[in-house]
Amino acid sequence: MTFRLPGFGSFSKLWKNNPYLGLASGNSHLSHFLMNYCAIKNQQRWLSLTTLSLQNTKAMDLLTAKTRYYRKNVEGSNKVSSDSSHFFAAGAAKKRAQMNPQSKDPISPPLRNTIQLPTKPLNSEEWDKLKGDFKGKASFENWISSQLTHCHSPVDVAKSLLAWVASKNNGIVSYELLVKYLCLCVFHKQTTEIIDVYEIMKARYKRLEPGGYTLLIRGLIHSDRWREALLLLEDIKKVTIPSKKNYDDCIQGALLHQDVNTAWNLYQELLGHDLTPMMETLKAFFDFGKGLKDDQYTNKLLDILLYLRNNQLYPGESFAHCIKTWFESIPGEQWKGEFTTIQKSGQCLGCGKTTESIHLTLEEYELLKENIMRNVIDGGDQYKKTTPEELERFQNFVKSCAPFDIVIDGLNVAKMFPKARESQVLLDVVSQLAKQNQQLLVLGRKHMLKPCSRWRKDEMEKVQKQASCFFADNISKDDPFLLYATLHSGNHCKFITNDLMRDHKACLPDAKTQRLFFKWQQGHQLAIISRFPGSKLTFQSILSYDTVVQTTGDSWHIPYDEDLVERYSYEVPTKWLCLHRKT
Amino acid sequence: MPVFLKMSVSFTLRPFARILVPFTLHKKRRDFYSTILKRYISSKIPAVSSPNKESTSSHEPLELDGWKITMKSSVQEGVSEVSSSKDNDPLAATRELIEMWRLLGREVPEHVSEEDLKTLMESASKSSKRKYLKYLYVKEKMKKAKQIKKEMKAAAKEEAKKEKLLETTEEDKQQNFLFLRLWDRSMDNAMGWKGAQAMQFGQPLVFDMAYDNCMKPKELQNTVSQLLESEGYNRRNVDPFHIYFCNLKTDGDYHRELVKRYRERWDKLLLTSTEKSHVDIFPKDNIVYLTADSPNVMTTFKHDKIYIIGSFVDKSMQPGTSLANAKRLKLATECLPLDKYLQWETGNKNLTLDQMMRILLCLKNTGSWEEALKFVPRRKHTGYMEISQHSQEFINQLKKSKTFNLFPKGSLNVYTKKKQFK
Repeated sequence: MTFRLPGFGSFSKLWKNNPYLGLASGNSHLSHFLMNYCAIKNQQRWLSLTTLSLQNTKAMDLLTAKTRYYRKNVEGSNKVSSDSSHFFAAGAAKKRAQMNPQSKDPISPPLRNTIQLPTKPLNSEEWDKLKGDFKGKASFENWISSQLTHCHSPVDVAKSLLAWVASKNNGIVSYELLVKYLCLCVFHKQTTEIIDVYEIMKARYKRLEPGGYTLLIRGLIHSDRWREALLLLEDIKKVTIPSKKNYDDCIQGALLHQDVNTAWNLYQELLGHDLTPMMETLKAFFDFGKGLKDDQYTNKLLDILLYLRNNQLYPGESFAHCIKTWFESIPGEQWKGEFTTIQKSGQCLGCGKTTESIHLTLEEYELLKENIMRNVIDGGDQYKKTTPEELERFQNFVKSCAPFDIVIDGLNVAKMFPKARESQVLLDVVSQLAKQNQQLLVLGRKHMLKPCSRWRKDEMEKVQKQASCFFADNISKDDPFLLYATLHSGNHCKFITNDLMRDHKACLPDAKTQRLFFKWQQGHQLAIISRFPGSKLTFQSILSYDTVVQTTGDSWHIPYDEDLVERYSYEVPTKWLCLHRKT
Repeated sequence: MPVFLKMSVSFTLRPFARILVPFTLHKKRRDFYSTILKRYISSKIPAVSSPNKESTSSHEPLELDGWKITMKSSVQEGVSEVSSSKDNDPLAATRELIEMWRLLGREVPEHVSEEDLKTLMESASKSSKRKYLKYLYVKEKMKKAKQIKKEMKAAAKEEAKKEKLLETTEEDKQQNFLFLRLWDRSMDNAMGWKGAQAMQFGQPLVFDMAYDNCMKPKELQNTVSQLLESEGYNRRNVDPFHIYFCNLKTDGDYHRELVKRYRERWDKLLLTSTEKSHVDIFPKDNIVYLTADSPNVMTTFKHDKIYIIGSFVDKSMQPGTSLANAKRLKLATECLPLDKYLQWETGNKNLTLDQMMRILLCLKNTGSWEEALKFVPRRKHTGYMEISQHSQEFINQLKKSKTFNLFPKGSLNVYTKKKQFK
């Protein structure tokens, strides 16, 4: 953490300048600022969790973060859109991270051996001379060939190197050099050279390693001998499972040569190995299907879309375009596609249809509840997160009290503003919610009841009057209780915490349950974005719709990732492709 | 015309190839040559027609494609012997794969035993295979380095012996000694006596062996190595602990590994190993379970408590396992005051068993945290916390008043001297 003097200096100016700035550049600018300021608040809390730094360094971080943001705003490089404000929106975490003053400057690359790479083929004497100049640990031949490969030098230069090596070495070129040469040939798409090397390898070695096979496959699919790539794939299978890129190459090759059946068989095989296909592979199928009138093929493409739905995968921007053109090219059916967003109510701006609700079905809900109980709270050893006595106490407590409307993570809420007193913040939040006649549950730890400067007794008593409270042992985890209480209260119940709960999600046994948990979390988590202690509570908006590929038969709604937005795994895209039939 | 010319080139190579590969079987050679020729011609035709190549050969005197012929022809024979015997055996295929990786300069061992190969095939994922191969590679490298060192040492010894032989023949004189040269053995004896004393009167220190099903074989081996080291360190100390191995199941993985390492010495070790739990042997109130997850910080080493160390190497992220065990038995827990005394930098707060043993022994003998925490690896912290002069005096006073009677004067003097140096 560095102390930034200039940042500190401009901080005071920030407050004076900003209203003027907002007025000058219009309303939207002001709202950006406010929103980002809230993000800073959140960010600050995360910092306080991750780094156990002292109070004043935290304040410094905040200062630097603010000034950084200020500079950014002035430059006008702010590309945050105001509609993507929910907690799990794509890019939200990136935004939070940009405020992070700890981000490091890029490390300068290490110094390289300073030999000028040849740009045209050299003869033996010239190579000998170059070798004389070389100083380094690795052997000259290997080093120079990796450099040539790395810098994508012309094939002929590398070839002259190989010729020189061969002439020195009784006509033998090592496997390593051959592979690097092959890599260069594949990059430059020199099919005849690739086939030559392929012949050499076939003659010289009975079996290659996956790296060599991969390069050969990638090189061969463009040639007439693409079927041999499939044989190479078989060879890989003998020792290990081929990578998804291997399958991608083979499928692309098959589609390139109009062999649809082989392509689909390879795709099935890929799924059979539990590999997640590359988006490029799926895109290739859609590309190929353009204008094709074949019901079977169409059904298979729809199966791919369902696969995306079931595995909560989102296509990229170019893939989305590809899907759109395919739909629009289906002869006979008049599809119309457009790129839109979805309103908060869940209505598509394009066609006005309502998208699927975020709420789980009854079976899904029960499954999730059971899994949380079994894996997150119990986890094979009840003593790890709590004790059996405490668990029983809690279960009885939940049973006896009526179902709750809101469950509050007391410690998380109380620590939101490091400068304010913990019990004060908690009381504020609780009383504001209690005014709305909500049935509240506050979860905490026993140490909160011990009066001290941060936890005042009178305030805690007021909290206990307005809400039901449960205090766990100091060494127990409180989050599992929060999840259980919320799930037990039913679908209408929400919980308040700014925790992303990733560690609890990780405790769940399989990807399917984790996705269920994430869906439930999106629909039920209220994250606080209030700026000041004591001000009116505002929450991150809860999504009412589920972000997933979905269909109603005559319409498709497909969320997709924009190319320029970086999305974290716990975020969902905000842009949609809406497809519907003209009537 | 050029085709014929090339043909003659490849024929002149024929005796050359035989020299290159002297160990090969000479089967079907005639066929091979015809196939080589055919393939060479067929592959050559598109290459010649390509404009790119023609342009290069025009201004370059160097023959760029010449090496390809030799590559194809010289090797074909070499491969034939391999391909005939093994065909679809996955073990053989893996062996070849490893060999190819080695050619590529990847970190794989040169020789792989059948057993290792089977373990390799059983590993579930690609990355676990890669890890295992790297492990074998490093192991092989170490072994080779050791072998070389050993040979060099032996050579040096031989040299020294020769010189000595020359010297002794020249002057062969009598010398008077007080002792025979039996240091090692007498050291062992003394340590044995001290160990026996500790068995009778020493403070118990328990290693809880209840974690064998939380660990993978490798972790278990590491744990046993650490146990061996801590036992050895304890033996050498002035005032050793009386070590207990509790919850040690006979014929369990732990027991087997320990017996394998100690061999016949296992039964002669001066420590107590038992299948019983520590709560059955000692009164519950006196037990303190040491775990890094504990909320309570250890302030002083108490000589009437029984400290328990979980012999558990956790490489697979199972936090709170030992704390859960202590909670289950309702035992007091403590952790070392690492944050209080050290400016922690990186790494896990969990220390190895032998480091714990050293720290506890040092605390037991001197009672000074600064001394004891010297055994925390230096890479994990940047230095000791600066304590202001005033508070340090205060602490010293406290210590003097409390523990003066417990320690011999000498050790305390050492402690205060060290402080003055700082």
